[in-house]
Amino acid sequence: MSGPLDTSIELEHVTVELDGRLILDDVTVRLEQRRIAVIGANGSGKSTFARLLDGLVAPTRGSVRVHGLDVVRELKRVRREVGFVFTNPDAQILMPTVAEDVALSLRGSGLDRAQIAERITAVLEQYGLAAHAEAPAYSLSGGQKQLLALASVLVRKPKLVIADEPTTLLDLGNARRIGRLLVDELAAQLVVVTHDLELAERCDIALQFRDGRLVEVGEPAEVVRSYRSEHT
Amino acid sequence: MIALYLPGHSILHRTPAGVKLAALLVLALTVSLWPHTAYSLAAVGVLVLGLYALALFPPLVLLRQLWLAKWIVVIMVVTQLIFLTPWDALVNTVRVVAIVLLAGLLTLTTRSSDLLEALEAGLRPFARVGVDARRVGLTLSLAISMLPVIAGLAARVRDAQRARGVRLGFRAVVPILVLALRHADDVADALSARGAD
Repeated sequence: MSGPLDTSIELEHVTVELDGRLILDDVTVRLEQRRIAVIGANGSGKSTFARLLDGLVAPTRGSVRVHGLDVVRELKRVRREVGFVFTNPDAQILMPTVAEDVALSLRGSGLDRAQIAERITAVLEQYGLAAHAEAPAYSLSGGQKQLLALASVLVRKPKLVIADEPTTLLDLGNARRIGRLLVDELAAQLVVVTHDLELAERCDIALQFRDGRLVEVGEPAEVVRSYRSEHT
Repeated sequence: MIALYLPGHSILHRTPAGVKLAALLVLALTVSLWPHTAYSLAAVGVLVLGLYALALFPPLVLLRQLWLAKWIVVIMVVTQLIFLTPWDALVNTVRVVAIVLLAGLLTLTTRSSDLLEALEAGLRPFARVGVDARRVGLTLSLAISMLPVIAGLAARVRDAQRARGVRLGFRAVVPILVLALRHADDVADALSARGAD
């Protein structure tokens, strides 16, 4: 059972194999920082690391604990604590209109209709989507879709937000806006998988993956410098 | 045809979704089973026009719904004229188009979430025979949401063909299917992440 202030993320000797391929190789790490950046080349295992934390991928060996909860054995409780923002918002938006998509996140929350409506209005205003509440979600621009995906996650007030390359498909302006929202304004703990090294440098700690192995954990500026030097 | 909610303050917008759903069921059955004459067909037309007027929509909304139903009309008229008399073809086409327009009016005046709730409430008694009302509602809602996504995937494949100067014709179904299946995997992950499974 986790305490209310437990913000630990622990992986112990975690290995992930998918279809006979080694995706993550014996990863052990304990993190408690509020802003955690994960960097690495494509196929290095960083997205798999993120997906492990929300139980979207199960470890082949080893254990994963998030805020004191075992991700495999206590998956439902983990999912209540964790929100996941995907790279492609089109895959995350599940309902026909903007307000309805946010409302989906609150189904089964125990809130009554008035409270749900209040929360939806507040979150849509916060993310500049109030004017689009009744609009078809698919008609939004790429940046607005990612804002909606974020709003749909944050309306549940998760304690940990995992964002898997949330700015990859966005233009510079929208990427900066989403980055600012995540790193500077988010109340919850954040794990962000990113190729945006400026964003990674603004976090409290950075992890670098290479070929399925966690090769570096430390000060973001140091980790980013080392990653850059490998690619020059 | 998937019509999305158009906000408004008409009596139809304010009517509970369950009542509208039940009314649609009754009207659809009546229009389908009634032995039509020229007068009753005209009455069906007046009913549809009247209900759209009651929703306080501009005429363009009804015309758009009719335009979206054009292929249903073409396919029904052509296929039925082969086997039936022109009168029977007319009656059956009016029946189907009227029901499509009424169903469109339901979705135009009702938020999908309200419709979903009404549907779930209606299906709840069937839980005893294993029907998961919540899952059925969510599935229907997802199906509505995914239509524009699939259309987008088809457009992507079409653009890729043009860019590479090839015409796949019917074979274009294969890449669309592959993209759709990949998208389905992503949606399954998103559903899991949002605790919907």
